[in-house]
Amino acid sequence: MASRPGDKHPALLALTSSALLLPAYQGVRADAPPEFIELGTRYSKYEEDNTQGSKTFGGSSQRYEVDAAQFHLLAPVLDSWAVAVDVQWEDMSGASPWFVGQSLDGGPKVIMSGASIEDTRTEVSVTTRYYYDRGNAGFNYVHSDEDDYESNAVALDGAFNSADGMTTYSAAISTSADDIEPTQGSVPTNTLKDNKDISSAWIGVSRIVSKNAIVRFGLAYTYRDGFLTDPYKKNDRRPSERNEWAFSTGYRQYFFWPDGALQADYRYFDDDWGVASHTLDLAWHQNLGERTQLIPFLRYYSQGEADFFANIADTDKRHYSDDYRLSSFGAVSGGLRVRHEIGNWALSAVGERYETDESWGVYSGQESPALVNYWRYSFGLDYIFR
Amino acid sequence: MPHLEHRFRAMGGPCRLRLDCADEALAARAIAAAESEARRLESKYSRYLPDSLTSTINRAAGSGQAVPIDPETSGLLGFAHTLWQQSGGLFDLTAGVLRRAWDFKSGRLPAPDAIDALLPLIGWERVQWDEAGVCLPLAGMEIDFGGCVKEYASDSIANLLAHSGIRRGLVDMAGDIAVVGAGCATDPWPVGIRHPRQRGAAIAHISLAGGGLASSGDYERCLLIDGRRYGHILSPATGWPVRGLVAVSIAAPQCLVAGGSATIAMLKPEAEALAWLGELGLPWFAVDSELRCYGELSQVSP
Amino acid sequence: MKQLAIYLFVLLCLSGCETVQPWERGTLAKREMQWQPDPMETSLQAQVNSSKEASSGGQGAAGGGCGCN
Repeated sequence: MASRPGDKHPALLALTSSALLLPAYQGVRADAPPEFIELGTRYSKYEEDNTQGSKTFGGSSQRYEVDAAQFHLLAPVLDSWAVAVDVQWEDMSGASPWFVGQSLDGGPKVIMSGASIEDTRTEVSVTTRYYYDRGNAGFNYVHSDEDDYESNAVALDGAFNSADGMTTYSAAISTSADDIEPTQGSVPTNTLKDNKDISSAWIGVSRIVSKNAIVRFGLAYTYRDGFLTDPYKKNDRRPSERNEWAFSTGYRQYFFWPDGALQADYRYFDDDWGVASHTLDLAWHQNLGERTQLIPFLRYYSQGEADFFANIADTDKRHYSDDYRLSSFGAVSGGLRVRHEIGNWALSAVGERYETDESWGVYSGQESPALVNYWRYSFGLDYIFR
Repeated sequence: MPHLEHRFRAMGGPCRLRLDCADEALAARAIAAAESEARRLESKYSRYLPDSLTSTINRAAGSGQAVPIDPETSGLLGFAHTLWQQSGGLFDLTAGVLRRAWDFKSGRLPAPDAIDALLPLIGWERVQWDEAGVCLPLAGMEIDFGGCVKEYASDSIANLLAHSGIRRGLVDMAGDIAVVGAGCATDPWPVGIRHPRQRGAAIAHISLAGGGLASSGDYERCLLIDGRRYGHILSPATGWPVRGLVAVSIAAPQCLVAGGSATIAMLKPEAEALAWLGELGLPWFAVDSELRCYGELSQVSP
Repeated sequence: MKQLAIYLFVLLCLSGCETVQPWERGTLAKREMQWQPDPMETSLQAQVNSSKEASSGGQGAAGGGCGCN
């Protein structure tokens, strides 16, 4: 029963344009502040698989576990403003890879940091956003605090719609100052106190393709400067600068039958450490009636190793690292999100499995013995005050 | 899904809300908001209520004083102006004065003199209006929002229900219908189109997935004299009934646009109306005086 | 990479997308059509991934870091 596509009769255009000036139709404004206060909480459990005994010295080793609680508040303020407050608490415990050594058979094995790391992190993020006829602009401040790490970041972003509302141009800039002060425990650290700065800029454009599809492209540049070495890893010495580029694209397509949408996102990442990566995120958002949504998702990630990565680090070189995160590997993750609304409440749950393997990647390189697999579960409760 | 139905009377007709909502408290709040919106628009625009803005504007006719109006009213005047332009003057907000001569219950035709006396009071082009105010230049002139307020109310109530948290629902203001929210193609609402000659019967059943549906028809107020039918759709130019279609239903993203288009189609002579409907680009359904059905809506589910 | 981005951008600008009128954008306003339908989920997932992988960001300007292992 939707109107037929194609050319609209001038009479229909005239009638519709003049009708839409009436207050009852102002809700279709592209950039409108939220109408109601929204509250949300999430509890998440993140659990890494133990590293296989054959890949470690000293047998199977327990790895990282994180309990995270998130809190989100979004409130309209005055006519054209909104304020968002996000708080996140994390409790982290477990062991992380300390260094990779050569075993008697010649293969690399990982040595885990012996004692259990215990840390908590608190992040508070405040965003104020102003909405105008053709777009919106936001200012964001984030403070993150851990025993050994503190970060303060500010960001500005803006979105501007073309006159016909078909295209949205966005841009953002941010800067952060991070302080690192490793806790002195069972392993010697690479620094006592240091800092790094991160500056970043992003431009994006999104465009309505049809009544049921929208596409976007983005380009991000990030510059990191300062102590970029991992303070706890024995064989880690990284350059003090890093230039990163990321090109991303996304697509959303709605299908009347079976009342669902395809969500696809891709990112290409490249930096001057020699790391490059492809990331593809796919999700299918299936509506089951008006209030229940089932969202299976699948992610593929593949990265190439940093120029200075080696399983058995050559510590005579200027830069070196045996950190598995700088190695070549491929990762496949997938899971299911479920959301159900009951009146003004919404319940949600997520289960996700993440697995890595050197052979799954499109880039070749040495396989790190410390690659990680994990499970994640999240449970959420949202409320909207309407 | 629980299916709630709430009926009330407003704007001189039966109104019906159909809501799919399991939360009774939320539904009760939404229904209250919907009813109060219907009452608000009725008390603002009804020409029968002496305190309404319409009555205030009409009373000030000929005084030379502009009556101040709000953005909603200037929006409605703007829409009426577009209807007047697009219909080549056939739709005229000031044509309601002809009711003074035409009494369809009397069984008699009006005296031609009586109609001719009223014609000088008709003429949208003579009304002075802008965003701030409206002024009817001649004493006795009047405007009547009856041709579009019910459709606007239907949209406005559907909008209000969606904002109250209703995800799926239907607003039916005496045949002017709007779907709440974005709608859902896989789960449309069954809607009947009123038979122009058989009271309480439907001439067609259609499925409405989203947007609005409005009908305009020459349903009952007609005179039969010497076998000739005088309908209640009057031409502002002659003051006499238009010999056009008997009923038109149109679906559009907004009930107001559907209603305006249906009104224009009813004011045009039959053949011209059918041609105009065919070009318009909206799904439509029409019945002529021989009760022949036209349009693609009839094929949805006759 | 940059050439690809420019090529796609030009393609986007030239593509004859049918004009979708404001009142036809109801579907595009649906939750599932948003770039980030669930911001808390997105931010958690981004944080976890960036602490296990060498790449991060791309969906806006980068924020501050964390000492996440």
